[in-house]
Amino acid sequence: MSTAVLEDLQVGADVTATLAARAVEARRLVVDMAASSRGCHLGGSLSVLDILIAALHRASAGDGTEVVLSKGHAAAGLYAALHVSGALPENPAPLYGLAGHPYTGHPGPKVPGVRFPTGSLGHGVPYAAGWALSQRLRGRHGLGIAVAGDGELQEGLVWETCQVAAAQQLGNFVLVVDRNGGQNDGMVADISPLPRLAERFAAFGFDVTEVDGHDLGALTALLAEDRTAARRPLAVVADTVKGKGVRAVEGKAACHYVTIDQARAAKWKRAIR
Amino acid sequence: MSPTATTAPERPMPDTDERPVTLSGRDAYRDELTRLAASDDTIVCLEADLGGKGHPFQAAHPERFLNLGIAEGAMVDMAAGLAAGGHKPFISTFAPFAALRAAESLKLTLGYLAAGVTVVAPYAGVSGAWFGTTHHCLEDLAILRSVPGVTIAAPYGDAEMRAVVREAVRSGRPHYIRTGRNARYESLPLSGTELPLVNWEFTADATGAVCLVSVGEEGTRLALAARRAAPGTAHAHLTYLDHDNLTAAAAELARHHSRFVVVEEHRGQGGIAEALALLLPACQVTSVSADRSWPSQGGDHEEVMAALGLDLPAVLDALHRAAR
Repeated sequence: MSTAVLEDLQVGADVTATLAARAVEARRLVVDMAASSRGCHLGGSLSVLDILIAALHRASAGDGTEVVLSKGHAAAGLYAALHVSGALPENPAPLYGLAGHPYTGHPGPKVPGVRFPTGSLGHGVPYAAGWALSQRLRGRHGLGIAVAGDGELQEGLVWETCQVAAAQQLGNFVLVVDRNGGQNDGMVADISPLPRLAERFAAFGFDVTEVDGHDLGALTALLAEDRTAARRPLAVVADTVKGKGVRAVEGKAACHYVTIDQARAAKWKRAIR
Repeated sequence: MSPTATTAPERPMPDTDERPVTLSGRDAYRDELTRLAASDDTIVCLEADLGGKGHPFQAAHPERFLNLGIAEGAMVDMAAGLAAGGHKPFISTFAPFAALRAAESLKLTLGYLAAGVTVVAPYAGVSGAWFGTTHHCLEDLAILRSVPGVTIAAPYGDAEMRAVVREAVRSGRPHYIRTGRNARYESLPLSGTELPLVNWEFTADATGAVCLVSVGEEGTRLALAARRAAPGTAHAHLTYLDHDNLTAAAAELARHHSRFVVVEEHRGQGGIAEALALLLPACQVTSVSADRSWPSQGGDHEEVMAALGLDLPAVLDALHRAAR
Protein backbone atom coordinates (compact mmCIF):
# COMPACT_ATOMS: atom_id res chain seq x y z
CA MET A 1 0.00 0.00 0.00
CA SER A 2 1.17 3.45 -0.77
CA THR A 3 2.77 5.41 1.98
CA ALA A 4 0.77 8.43 0.87
CA VAL A 5 -1.89 7.73 3.45
CA LEU A 6 -3.67 10.89 4.39
CA GLU A 7 -4.11 11.16 8.09
CA ASP A 8 -6.59 13.44 9.75
CA LEU A 9 -5.32 12.90 13.27
CA GLN A 10 -4.50 16.05 15.15
CA VAL A 11 -1.58 16.31 17.51
CA GLY A 12 -2.72 15.19 20.92
CA ALA A 13 -5.84 13.51 19.59
CA ASP A 14 -6.88 10.18 21.02
CA VAL A 15 -5.35 8.00 18.35
CA THR A 16 -6.97 4.79 19.49
CA ALA A 17 -10.43 6.33 19.59
CA THR A 18 -9.98 7.75 16.12
CA LEU A 19 -8.80 4.43 14.73
CA ALA A 20 -11.71 2.67 16.45
CA ALA A 21 -14.13 5.01 14.77
CA ARG A 22 -12.49 4.21 11.45
CA ALA A 23 -12.87 0.52 12.15
CA VAL A 24 -16.61 0.90 12.71
CA GLU A 25 -16.99 2.81 9.47
CA ALA A 26 -14.87 0.28 7.61
CA ARG A 27 -16.88 -2.68 8.93
CA ARG A 28 -20.05 -1.08 7.62
CA LEU A 29 -18.40 -0.68 4.21
CA VAL A 30 -17.43 -4.35 4.20
CA VAL A 31 -21.01 -5.30 4.93
CA ASP A 32 -22.07 -3.13 2.01
CA MET A 33 -19.70 -5.11 -0.20
CA ALA A 34 -21.13 -8.37 1.10
CA ALA A 35 -24.51 -7.02 0.00
CA SER A 36 -23.28 -6.44 -3.55
CA SER A 37 -24.16 -8.81 -6.35
CA ARG A 38 -20.69 -10.32 -6.00
CA GLY A 39 -20.65 -10.90 -2.27
CA CYS A 40 -17.27 -10.85 -0.52
CA HIS A 41 -14.91 -12.71 1.76
CA LEU A 42 -16.69 -11.33 4.77
CA GLY A 43 -15.21 -13.24 7.69
CA GLY A 44 -11.56 -12.62 6.88
CA SER A 45 -12.21 -9.02 5.86
CA LEU A 46 -13.74 -8.28 9.24
CA SER A 47 -11.10 -10.15 11.21
CA VAL A 48 -8.22 -8.30 9.59
CA LEU A 49 -9.65 -4.80 9.66
CA ASP A 50 -8.17 -3.59 12.92
CA ILE A 51 -4.75 -4.86 11.92
CA LEU A 52 -4.94 -3.07 8.59
CA ILE A 53 -6.12 0.19 10.12
CA ALA A 54 -3.31 0.12 12.68
CA ALA A 55 -0.75 -0.75 10.00
CA LEU A 56 -1.94 2.02 7.71
CA HIS A 57 -1.66 4.42 10.61
CA ARG A 58 1.97 3.29 10.99
CA ALA A 59 2.55 3.86 7.28
CA SER A 60 1.20 7.39 7.57
CA ALA A 61 4.39 8.34 9.40
CA GLY A 62 5.85 8.83 5.93
CA ASP A 63 9.11 7.00 6.59
CA GLY A 64 8.72 4.60 3.71
CA THR A 65 6.71 1.96 5.50
CA GLU A 66 4.73 -0.24 3.13
CA VAL A 67 1.77 -2.42 4.12
CA VAL A 68 0.99 -5.48 2.01
CA LEU A 69 -2.19 -7.45 2.56
CA SER A 70 -0.96 -10.91 1.67
CA LYS A 71 -4.31 -12.61 2.36
CA GLY A 72 -5.66 -10.85 -0.70
CA HIS A 73 -9.05 -12.53 -0.55
CA ALA A 74 -9.82 -10.03 2.23
CA ALA A 75 -9.88 -7.37 -0.49
CA ALA A 76 -13.13 -5.88 0.80
CA GLY A 77 -11.46 -5.26 4.14
CA LEU A 78 -8.47 -3.70 2.43
CA TYR A 79 -10.54 -1.36 0.29
CA ALA A 80 -12.54 -0.28 3.32
CA ALA A 81 -9.44 0.25 5.44
CA LEU A 82 -7.74 2.27 2.72
CA HIS A 83 -10.82 4.44 2.36
CA VAL A 84 -11.32 5.21 6.03
CA SER A 85 -7.58 5.87 6.41
CA GLY A 86 -7.65 8.40 3.59
CA ALA A 87 -5.45 6.59 1.06
CA LEU A 88 -8.39 5.78 -1.19
CA PRO A 89 -10.52 8.87 -1.75
CA GLU A 90 -13.53 7.26 -3.40
CA ASN A 91 -15.89 4.98 -1.56
CA PRO A 92 -15.17 1.54 -3.01
CA ALA A 93 -18.33 -0.15 -1.74
CA PRO A 94 -20.78 0.97 -4.47
CA LEU A 95 -18.20 0.12 -7.14
CA TYR A 96 -16.99 -3.20 -5.76
CA GLY A 97 -16.80 -5.94 -8.40
CA LEU A 98 -18.22 -3.76 -11.16
CA ALA A 99 -16.89 -3.44 -14.70
CA GLY A 100 -14.80 -0.34 -15.21
CA HIS A 101 -13.62 -0.21 -11.61
CA PRO A 102 -10.52 -1.73 -10.05
CA TYR A 103 -12.14 -3.21 -6.94
CA THR A 104 -11.82 -6.86 -7.87
CA GLY A 105 -12.23 -9.78 -5.54
CA HIS A 106 -8.49 -9.86 -4.99
CA PRO A 107 -6.55 -6.60 -5.01
CA GLY A 108 -4.12 -5.38 -7.62
CA PRO A 109 -1.98 -2.32 -8.23
CA LYS A 110 -4.72 -0.52 -10.16
CA VAL A 111 -6.31 0.28 -6.81
CA PRO A 112 -4.96 3.55 -5.40
CA GLY A 113 -2.75 2.75 -2.45
CA VAL A 114 -2.04 -0.84 -3.51
CA ARG A 115 1.38 -1.74 -4.94
CA PHE A 116 1.27 -5.51 -5.29
CA PRO A 117 -1.23 -8.08 -6.55
CA THR A 118 -2.15 -10.56 -3.85
CA GLY A 119 -4.68 -13.28 -3.26
CA SER A 120 -2.66 -16.02 -4.73
CA LEU A 121 -1.55 -16.79 -1.22
CA GLY A 122 1.96 -16.42 0.08
CA HIS A 123 3.25 -13.75 -2.31
CA GLY A 124 2.57 -10.70 -0.17
CA VAL A 125 5.03 -11.91 2.45
CA PRO A 126 8.07 -11.81 0.12
CA TYR A 127 6.81 -8.62 -1.52
CA ALA A 128 6.95 -6.92 1.87
CA ALA A 129 10.29 -8.52 2.69
CA GLY A 130 11.72 -7.27 -0.60
CA TRP A 131 10.43 -3.82 0.19
CA ALA A 132 12.09 -3.96 3.60
CA LEU A 133 15.33 -5.05 1.97
CA SER A 134 15.15 -2.14 -0.45
CA GLN A 135 14.63 0.29 2.42
CA ARG A 136 17.63 -1.10 4.24
CA LEU A 137 19.86 -0.96 1.17
CA ARG A 138 18.91 2.69 0.78
CA GLY A 139 19.61 3.45 4.39
CA ARG A 140 15.98 4.26 5.13
CA HIS A 141 13.91 3.34 8.17
CA GLY A 142 10.64 2.22 6.61
CA LEU A 143 9.15 -1.14 7.45
CA GLY A 144 7.86 -3.81 5.14
CA ILE A 145 4.67 -5.00 6.86
CA ALA A 146 3.03 -8.14 5.51
CA VAL A 147 -0.41 -9.05 6.80
CA ALA A 148 -1.03 -12.75 6.30
CA GLY A 149 -3.75 -15.15 7.31
CA ASP A 150 -3.15 -18.17 9.51
CA GLY A 151 -4.51 -20.44 6.79
CA GLU A 152 -2.10 -18.77 4.41
CA LEU A 153 0.79 -20.06 6.49
CA GLN A 154 0.19 -23.43 4.85
CA GLU A 155 1.88 -22.01 1.74
CA GLY A 156 5.56 -22.93 1.44
CA LEU A 157 6.44 -19.52 0.05
CA VAL A 158 5.75 -17.96 3.44
CA TRP A 159 8.35 -20.12 5.14
CA GLU A 160 10.82 -19.72 2.31
CA THR A 161 10.60 -16.01 2.92
CA CYS A 162 10.88 -16.36 6.69
CA GLN A 163 14.08 -18.30 6.16
CA VAL A 164 15.45 -15.61 3.87
CA ALA A 165 14.31 -12.70 6.07
CA ALA A 166 16.01 -14.17 9.11
CA ALA A 167 19.17 -14.95 7.18
CA GLN A 168 19.28 -11.41 5.82
CA GLN A 169 18.67 -10.00 9.31
CA LEU A 170 15.71 -7.98 8.07
CA GLY A 171 14.84 -6.25 11.30
CA ASN A 172 12.54 -3.89 9.44
CA PHE A 173 10.36 -6.71 8.15
CA VAL A 174 7.18 -7.32 10.11
CA LEU A 175 4.85 -10.24 9.48
CA VAL A 176 1.46 -9.88 11.14
CA VAL A 177 -0.62 -13.04 11.23
CA ASP A 178 -4.37 -12.54 11.34
CA ARG A 179 -5.06 -15.70 13.33
CA ASN A 180 -8.82 -16.05 12.93
CA GLY A 181 -8.71 -19.83 12.86
CA GLY A 182 -10.61 -20.24 9.62
CA GLN A 183 -9.91 -20.97 6.00
CA ASN A 184 -11.96 -21.60 2.88
CA ASP A 185 -13.14 -25.12 3.60
CA GLY A 186 -13.40 -24.95 7.37
CA MET A 187 -11.21 -24.43 10.39
CA VAL A 188 -7.44 -24.37 10.23
CA ALA A 189 -7.30 -26.71 13.20
CA ASP A 190 -9.27 -29.33 11.29
CA ILE A 191 -7.49 -29.01 7.95
CA SER A 192 -3.81 -28.35 8.62
CA PRO A 193 -3.20 -27.18 12.19
CA LEU A 194 -0.41 -24.82 13.19
CA PRO A 195 0.68 -25.91 16.64
CA ARG A 196 3.19 -23.79 18.55
CA LEU A 197 3.06 -21.05 15.97
CA ALA A 198 4.96 -18.48 18.02
CA GLU A 199 7.68 -21.04 18.66
CA ARG A 200 7.94 -21.68 14.94
CA PHE A 201 8.66 -18.05 14.21
CA ALA A 202 11.11 -17.87 17.09
CA ALA A 203 12.89 -20.92 15.72
CA PHE A 204 13.26 -19.13 12.39
CA GLY A 205 15.01 -16.31 14.19
CA PHE A 206 12.14 -13.85 14.50
CA ASP A 207 11.22 -11.66 17.40
CA VAL A 208 7.70 -12.77 18.26
CA THR A 209 4.77 -11.07 19.93
CA GLU A 210 1.26 -12.34 20.47
CA VAL A 211 -1.49 -9.76 20.68
CA ASP A 212 -5.26 -9.31 20.61
CA GLY A 213 -5.78 -8.50 16.94
CA HIS A 214 -8.70 -6.24 17.74
CA ASP A 215 -6.88 -4.15 20.34
CA LEU A 216 -6.08 -1.08 18.30
CA GLY A 217 -4.04 0.47 21.08
CA ALA A 218 -1.81 -2.58 21.39
CA LEU A 219 -1.46 -3.00 17.64
CA THR A 220 -0.61 0.66 17.18
CA ALA A 221 2.01 0.54 19.91
CA LEU A 222 3.59 -2.61 18.48
CA LEU A 223 3.85 -1.21 14.99
CA ALA A 224 5.21 2.10 16.23
CA GLU A 225 8.30 0.43 17.71
CA ASP A 226 11.60 1.76 16.46
CA ARG A 227 13.19 -1.16 14.64
CA THR A 228 16.06 0.80 13.20
CA ALA A 229 18.65 -1.26 15.05
CA ALA A 230 16.77 -4.56 14.96
CA ARG A 231 18.49 -7.50 13.31
CA ARG A 232 15.66 -9.97 13.69
CA PRO A 233 12.40 -9.70 11.75
CA LEU A 234 9.26 -9.39 13.83
CA ALA A 235 6.32 -11.79 13.80
CA VAL A 236 3.11 -10.52 15.36
CA VAL A 237 0.62 -13.30 15.97
CA ALA A 238 -2.66 -11.45 16.25
CA ASP A 239 -5.60 -13.41 17.58
CA THR A 240 -8.76 -12.32 15.85
CA VAL A 241 -12.37 -13.36 15.42
CA LYS A 242 -13.61 -14.32 12.01
CA GLY A 243 -16.50 -12.02 11.16
CA LYS A 244 -15.58 -9.65 14.00
CA GLY A 245 -18.19 -6.94 14.55
CA VAL A 246 -21.17 -8.75 13.08
CA ARG A 247 -22.57 -10.78 15.93
CA ALA A 248 -24.59 -13.03 13.65
CA VAL A 249 -21.50 -14.49 12.04
CA GLU A 250 -18.70 -13.99 14.53
CA GLY A 251 -16.49 -17.05 14.88
CA LYS A 252 -18.35 -19.04 12.27
CA ALA A 253 -16.40 -20.76 9.52
CA ALA A 254 -19.40 -20.39 7.21
CA CYS A 255 -18.90 -16.63 7.03
CA HIS A 256 -15.80 -17.07 4.90
CA TYR A 257 -17.61 -15.91 1.76
CA VAL A 258 -20.99 -14.29 2.12
CA THR A 259 -23.59 -12.68 -0.11
CA ILE A 260 -26.48 -10.99 1.69
CA ASP A 261 -29.46 -8.86 0.76
CA GLN A 262 -29.84 -5.18 1.49
CA ALA A 263 -32.23 -5.64 4.37
CA ARG A 264 -29.85 -7.90 6.22
CA ALA A 265 -26.99 -5.55 5.48
CA ALA A 266 -28.89 -2.64 6.97
CA LYS A 267 -29.63 -4.65 10.11
CA TRP A 268 -26.04 -5.77 10.51
CA LYS A 269 -24.67 -2.28 9.92
CA ARG A 270 -26.92 -0.78 12.60
CA ALA A 271 -25.56 -3.31 15.08
CA ILE A 272 -21.88 -2.57 14.41
CA ARG A 273 -20.39 -0.54 17.24
CA MET B 1 31.89 -21.79 -33.97
CA SER B 2 31.47 -24.69 -31.67
CA PRO B 3 31.26 -24.63 -27.93
CA THR B 4 34.49 -25.02 -26.09
CA ALA B 5 35.11 -26.81 -22.86
CA THR B 6 32.05 -27.39 -20.70
CA THR B 7 33.73 -26.28 -17.52
CA ALA B 8 34.89 -22.70 -17.51
CA PRO B 9 37.24 -21.68 -14.71
CA GLU B 10 35.95 -19.20 -12.17
CA ARG B 11 37.25 -15.77 -13.03
CA PRO B 12 38.03 -12.97 -10.64
CA MET B 13 37.08 -9.43 -11.57
CA PRO B 14 39.74 -8.22 -14.02
CA ASP B 15 41.91 -5.38 -12.79
CA THR B 16 41.93 -3.67 -16.13
CA ASP B 17 39.28 -2.79 -18.63
CA GLU B 18 40.42 -5.56 -20.89
CA ARG B 19 38.19 -8.57 -20.77
CA PRO B 20 38.30 -12.02 -22.23
CA VAL B 21 37.24 -12.21 -25.84
CA THR B 22 34.56 -14.75 -25.13
CA LEU B 23 32.90 -15.94 -21.95
CA SER B 24 30.04 -18.34 -21.54
CA GLY B 25 26.63 -16.72 -21.45
CA ARG B 26 26.30 -16.79 -17.70
CA ASP B 27 29.86 -15.61 -17.13
CA ALA B 28 29.38 -12.77 -19.61
CA TYR B 29 26.21 -11.81 -17.71
CA ARG B 30 28.02 -11.76 -14.39
CA ASP B 31 30.89 -9.76 -15.80
CA GLU B 32 28.76 -7.20 -17.62
CA LEU B 33 26.40 -6.67 -14.70
CA THR B 34 29.34 -6.17 -12.36
CA ARG B 35 30.71 -3.48 -14.65
CA LEU B 36 27.37 -1.74 -15.01
CA ALA B 37 26.79 -1.75 -11.26
CA ALA B 38 29.93 0.32 -10.76
CA SER B 39 28.09 3.33 -12.12
CA ASP B 40 24.53 2.42 -11.10
CA ASP B 41 24.02 1.85 -7.40
CA THR B 42 20.40 0.76 -7.89
CA ILE B 43 21.52 -2.53 -9.43
CA VAL B 44 21.33 -5.45 -7.04
CA CYS B 45 22.37 -9.02 -7.82
CA LEU B 46 20.43 -11.89 -6.27
CA GLU B 47 21.29 -15.56 -6.46
CA ALA B 48 19.53 -18.66 -5.17
CA ASP B 49 22.57 -20.70 -4.20
CA LEU B 50 23.54 -21.41 -7.80
CA GLY B 51 25.76 -18.45 -8.50
CA GLY B 52 28.90 -20.36 -7.69
CA LYS B 53 31.94 -19.29 -5.79
CA GLY B 54 33.96 -16.30 -6.91
CA HIS B 55 31.02 -14.35 -8.30
CA PRO B 56 32.56 -11.10 -9.63
CA PHE B 57 29.58 -9.03 -8.48
CA GLN B 58 30.06 -10.27 -4.94
CA ALA B 59 33.71 -9.31 -5.05
CA ALA B 60 33.07 -5.86 -6.49
CA HIS B 61 29.81 -4.87 -4.77
CA PRO B 62 29.37 -7.10 -1.73
CA GLU B 63 26.70 -4.89 -0.16
CA ARG B 64 24.48 -5.36 -3.22
CA PHE B 65 25.11 -9.05 -3.75
CA LEU B 66 22.62 -11.26 -1.94
CA ASN B 67 22.58 -15.03 -1.99
CA LEU B 68 19.06 -15.71 -0.73
CA GLY B 69 19.54 -19.45 -0.59
CA ILE B 70 17.44 -22.13 -2.24
CA ALA B 71 14.27 -20.08 -2.37
CA GLU B 72 13.40 -19.26 -5.97
CA GLY B 73 9.85 -18.08 -5.42
CA ALA B 74 10.82 -15.85 -2.53
CA MET B 75 13.66 -14.44 -4.61
CA VAL B 76 11.42 -13.45 -7.51
CA ASP B 77 8.80 -11.91 -5.22
CA MET B 78 11.37 -10.10 -3.12
CA ALA B 79 12.76 -8.71 -6.35
CA ALA B 80 9.33 -7.19 -6.94
CA GLY B 81 9.59 -5.49 -3.56
CA LEU B 82 13.09 -4.29 -4.37
CA ALA B 83 11.94 -2.89 -7.70
CA ALA B 84 9.06 -1.10 -6.00
CA GLY B 85 11.64 0.45 -3.71
CA GLY B 86 13.60 1.85 -6.65
CA HIS B 87 16.15 -0.89 -7.27
CA LYS B 88 17.00 -2.82 -10.44
CA PRO B 89 17.16 -6.43 -9.29
CA PHE B 90 18.92 -9.02 -11.42
CA ILE B 91 18.12 -12.49 -10.22
CA SER B 92 19.53 -15.76 -11.39
CA THR B 93 18.80 -19.40 -10.93
CA PHE B 94 18.66 -22.38 -13.25
CA ALA B 95 16.01 -22.12 -15.96
CA PRO B 96 13.95 -25.12 -14.80
CA PHE B 97 13.61 -23.60 -11.35
CA ALA B 98 12.99 -20.06 -12.54
CA ALA B 99 10.50 -20.80 -15.29
CA LEU B 100 8.69 -23.71 -13.69
CA ARG B 101 9.06 -23.64 -9.91
CA ALA B 102 8.67 -19.87 -9.75
CA ALA B 103 6.29 -19.57 -12.71
CA GLU B 104 3.49 -17.92 -10.77
CA SER B 105 5.87 -15.38 -9.31
CA LEU B 106 7.21 -14.62 -12.77
CA LYS B 107 3.67 -14.13 -14.06
CA LEU B 108 2.85 -11.67 -11.30
CA THR B 109 6.18 -9.87 -10.98
CA LEU B 110 7.38 -9.68 -14.57
CA GLY B 111 3.97 -9.74 -16.23
CA TYR B 112 1.20 -8.19 -14.20
CA LEU B 113 3.37 -5.82 -12.18
CA ALA B 114 5.73 -5.15 -15.11
CA ALA B 115 8.40 -4.75 -12.44
CA GLY B 116 11.88 -3.87 -13.61
CA VAL B 117 13.25 -7.26 -12.68
CA THR B 118 15.60 -9.29 -14.88
CA VAL B 119 15.72 -13.05 -14.57
CA VAL B 120 18.85 -14.67 -15.94
CA ALA B 121 18.29 -18.38 -16.42
CA PRO B 122 21.24 -20.64 -17.20
CA TYR B 123 20.87 -24.38 -17.75
CA ALA B 124 18.20 -23.72 -20.38
CA GLY B 125 17.35 -26.46 -22.84
CA VAL B 126 19.27 -29.61 -22.02
CA SER B 127 22.52 -27.86 -21.25
CA GLY B 128 22.29 -29.57 -17.87
CA ALA B 129 22.84 -32.73 -19.91
CA TRP B 130 23.90 -35.66 -17.71
CA PHE B 131 22.50 -33.96 -14.58
CA GLY B 132 19.18 -35.34 -15.77
CA THR B 133 15.66 -34.31 -16.63
CA THR B 134 15.10 -32.37 -13.42
CA HIS B 135 17.80 -30.01 -14.63
CA HIS B 136 16.55 -29.67 -18.20
CA CYS B 137 14.27 -26.89 -19.36
CA LEU B 138 12.58 -27.26 -22.71
CA GLU B 139 9.42 -25.42 -21.69
CA ASP B 140 10.53 -21.98 -20.58
CA LEU B 141 9.93 -20.11 -23.81
CA ALA B 142 6.38 -21.46 -23.98
CA ILE B 143 5.70 -20.32 -20.43
CA LEU B 144 7.32 -16.90 -20.61
CA ARG B 145 6.05 -16.10 -24.10
CA SER B 146 2.51 -16.50 -22.81
CA VAL B 147 3.03 -13.79 -20.19
CA PRO B 148 2.40 -10.38 -21.76
CA GLY B 149 4.99 -7.65 -21.31
CA VAL B 150 8.08 -9.76 -20.67
CA THR B 151 11.07 -9.19 -22.92
CA ILE B 152 12.59 -12.59 -23.66
CA ALA B 153 16.13 -12.93 -24.93
CA ALA B 154 18.26 -15.94 -25.81
CA PRO B 155 21.61 -14.39 -26.66
CA TYR B 156 24.32 -16.26 -28.55
CA GLY B 157 27.84 -15.48 -27.48
CA ASP B 158 29.53 -13.01 -25.21
CA ALA B 159 28.75 -9.84 -27.17
CA GLU B 160 25.02 -10.52 -27.45
CA MET B 161 24.71 -11.37 -23.78
CA ARG B 162 26.43 -8.13 -22.81
CA ALA B 163 24.18 -6.14 -25.14
CA VAL B 164 21.06 -7.78 -23.71
CA VAL B 165 22.14 -7.09 -20.13
CA ARG B 166 22.88 -3.46 -20.97
CA GLU B 167 19.46 -3.11 -22.54
CA ALA B 168 17.77 -4.69 -19.51
CA VAL B 169 19.47 -2.14 -17.25
CA ARG B 170 18.73 0.75 -19.57
CA SER B 171 15.09 -0.05 -20.25
CA GLY B 172 13.99 -0.97 -16.75
CA ARG B 173 11.59 -3.44 -18.36
CA PRO B 174 11.09 -6.99 -17.13
CA HIS B 175 13.44 -9.38 -18.87
CA TYR B 176 13.87 -13.14 -19.01
CA ILE B 177 17.30 -14.02 -20.37
CA ARG B 178 17.89 -17.61 -21.35
CA THR B 179 21.36 -19.06 -21.47
CA GLY B 180 23.16 -22.37 -21.28
CA ARG B 181 25.67 -23.80 -18.88
CA ASN B 182 29.37 -23.20 -19.42
CA ALA B 183 29.74 -23.55 -23.18
CA ARG B 184 31.35 -20.62 -24.94
CA TYR B 185 30.57 -19.45 -28.46
CA GLU B 186 32.30 -17.07 -30.78
CA SER B 187 30.10 -14.02 -31.10
CA LEU B 188 28.37 -13.22 -34.37
CA PRO B 189 29.48 -9.98 -35.97
CA LEU B 190 27.52 -7.02 -34.65
CA SER B 191 27.48 -3.53 -36.08
CA GLY B 192 26.93 -0.90 -33.41
CA THR B 193 26.07 -1.49 -29.81
CA GLU B 194 22.40 -2.38 -30.20
CA LEU B 195 21.23 -5.76 -31.34
CA PRO B 196 19.37 -5.87 -34.64
CA LEU B 197 15.84 -7.21 -34.71
CA VAL B 198 17.08 -9.85 -37.14
CA ASN B 199 20.78 -10.57 -37.41
CA TRP B 200 21.24 -11.64 -41.04
CA GLU B 201 24.29 -13.80 -40.98
CA PHE B 202 23.70 -14.53 -44.65
CA THR B 203 20.84 -13.58 -46.96
CA ALA B 204 20.40 -15.58 -50.13
CA ASP B 205 19.50 -13.59 -53.21
CA ALA B 206 16.39 -15.53 -54.14
CA THR B 207 13.32 -14.97 -52.00
CA GLY B 208 12.36 -18.58 -52.62
CA ALA B 209 15.51 -19.85 -50.95
CA VAL B 210 15.13 -21.62 -47.67
CA CYS B 211 16.22 -19.57 -44.67
CA LEU B 212 17.50 -21.03 -41.45
CA VAL B 213 16.24 -19.18 -38.41
CA SER B 214 18.40 -19.80 -35.37
CA VAL B 215 17.33 -19.36 -31.77
CA GLY B 216 19.51 -19.52 -28.70
CA GLU B 217 23.00 -20.85 -28.25
CA GLU B 218 22.75 -24.38 -29.56
CA GLY B 219 20.17 -23.54 -32.21
CA THR B 220 22.60 -21.00 -33.59
CA ARG B 221 25.56 -23.34 -33.33
CA LEU B 222 23.66 -25.94 -35.36
CA ALA B 223 22.52 -23.38 -37.91
CA LEU B 224 26.09 -22.20 -38.43
CA ALA B 225 27.23 -25.80 -38.82
CA ALA B 226 24.47 -26.39 -41.36
CA ARG B 227 25.58 -23.31 -43.27
CA ARG B 228 29.06 -24.73 -43.51
CA ALA B 229 27.64 -28.02 -44.77
CA ALA B 230 25.23 -26.32 -47.15
CA PRO B 231 26.86 -23.09 -48.30
CA GLY B 232 24.48 -20.56 -49.76
CA THR B 233 21.75 -21.28 -47.25
CA ALA B 234 20.30 -18.11 -45.81
CA HIS B 235 20.58 -17.69 -42.06
CA ALA B 236 18.76 -15.24 -39.81
CA HIS B 237 19.54 -15.21 -36.10
CA LEU B 238 16.99 -13.96 -33.56
CA THR B 239 17.93 -12.82 -30.07
CA TYR B 240 14.63 -11.43 -28.79
CA LEU B 241 11.83 -13.96 -28.72
CA ASP B 242 8.85 -12.37 -26.98
CA HIS B 243 5.67 -11.79 -28.92
CA ASP B 244 6.24 -8.10 -29.66
CA ASN B 245 9.79 -8.53 -30.91
CA LEU B 246 8.94 -11.68 -32.79
CA THR B 247 6.04 -10.01 -34.56
CA ALA B 248 8.35 -7.31 -35.88
CA ALA B 249 11.05 -9.82 -36.73
CA ALA B 250 8.57 -11.98 -38.62
CA ALA B 251 7.67 -9.09 -40.86
CA GLU B 252 11.32 -8.54 -41.69
CA LEU B 253 11.90 -12.23 -42.30
CA ALA B 254 9.00 -12.32 -44.72
CA ARG B 255 10.43 -9.43 -46.72
CA HIS B 256 13.37 -11.62 -47.69
CA HIS B 257 12.16 -15.22 -47.66
CA SER B 258 9.07 -17.36 -47.62
CA ARG B 259 10.41 -20.73 -46.45
CA PHE B 260 11.96 -21.07 -43.04
CA VAL B 261 13.53 -23.81 -40.95
CA VAL B 262 13.68 -22.78 -37.30
CA VAL B 263 16.33 -24.43 -35.12
CA GLU B 264 15.71 -24.19 -31.39
CA GLU B 265 16.62 -26.10 -28.25
CA HIS B 266 13.08 -26.18 -26.95
CA ARG B 267 10.07 -28.35 -27.48
CA GLY B 268 8.14 -27.62 -30.63
CA GLN B 269 5.06 -26.90 -28.57
CA GLY B 270 5.15 -23.26 -27.56
CA GLY B 271 8.42 -22.73 -29.35
CA ILE B 272 9.50 -20.11 -31.81
CA ALA B 273 8.69 -22.08 -34.96
CA GLU B 274 5.12 -22.44 -33.78
CA ALA B 275 4.93 -18.72 -33.09
CA LEU B 276 6.40 -17.80 -36.48
CA ALA B 277 4.01 -20.16 -38.25
CA LEU B 278 1.11 -18.21 -36.73
CA LEU B 279 2.69 -14.87 -37.53
CA LEU B 280 3.52 -15.89 -41.12
CA PRO B 281 0.51 -17.78 -42.43
CA ALA B 282 1.58 -17.23 -46.04
CA CYS B 283 5.00 -18.72 -45.44
CA GLN B 284 6.29 -22.24 -44.91
CA VAL B 285 7.71 -22.67 -41.43
CA THR B 286 9.17 -25.96 -40.26
CA SER B 287 10.91 -26.77 -37.04
CA VAL B 288 13.97 -28.58 -35.80
CA SER B 289 13.36 -28.83 -32.09
CA ALA B 290 13.30 -31.27 -29.22
CA ASP B 291 10.92 -34.15 -29.71
CA ARG B 292 8.40 -35.15 -27.06
CA SER B 293 10.60 -37.64 -25.24
CA TRP B 294 12.22 -37.32 -21.82
CA PRO B 295 15.95 -37.90 -21.94
CA SER B 296 16.75 -40.38 -19.21
CA GLN B 297 20.33 -41.23 -19.95
CA GLY B 298 23.60 -39.46 -19.40
CA GLY B 299 25.82 -37.85 -21.98
CA ASP B 300 27.18 -34.44 -22.74
CA HIS B 301 25.09 -31.58 -24.03
CA GLU B 302 25.36 -32.53 -27.68
CA GLU B 303 24.63 -36.19 -26.95
CA VAL B 304 21.47 -35.39 -25.01
CA MET B 305 20.34 -33.05 -27.76
CA ALA B 306 20.91 -35.76 -30.32
CA ALA B 307 18.77 -38.12 -28.27
CA LEU B 308 16.00 -35.55 -28.68
CA GLY B 309 16.49 -35.32 -32.43
CA LEU B 310 18.43 -32.09 -32.29
CA ASP B 311 21.58 -32.53 -34.31
CA LEU B 312 23.18 -31.48 -37.56
CA PRO B 313 21.71 -34.33 -39.64
CA ALA B 314 18.26 -33.31 -38.45
CA VAL B 315 18.85 -29.72 -39.53
CA LEU B 316 20.22 -30.74 -42.92
CA ASP B 317 17.32 -33.10 -43.44
CA ALA B 318 14.87 -30.34 -42.60
CA LEU B 319 16.61 -28.01 -45.04
CA HIS B 320 16.45 -30.67 -47.73
CA ARG B 321 12.74 -31.27 -47.18
CA ALA B 322 11.96 -27.56 -47.09
CA ALA B 323 13.78 -27.00 -50.38
CA ARG B 324 11.66 -29.54 -52.23
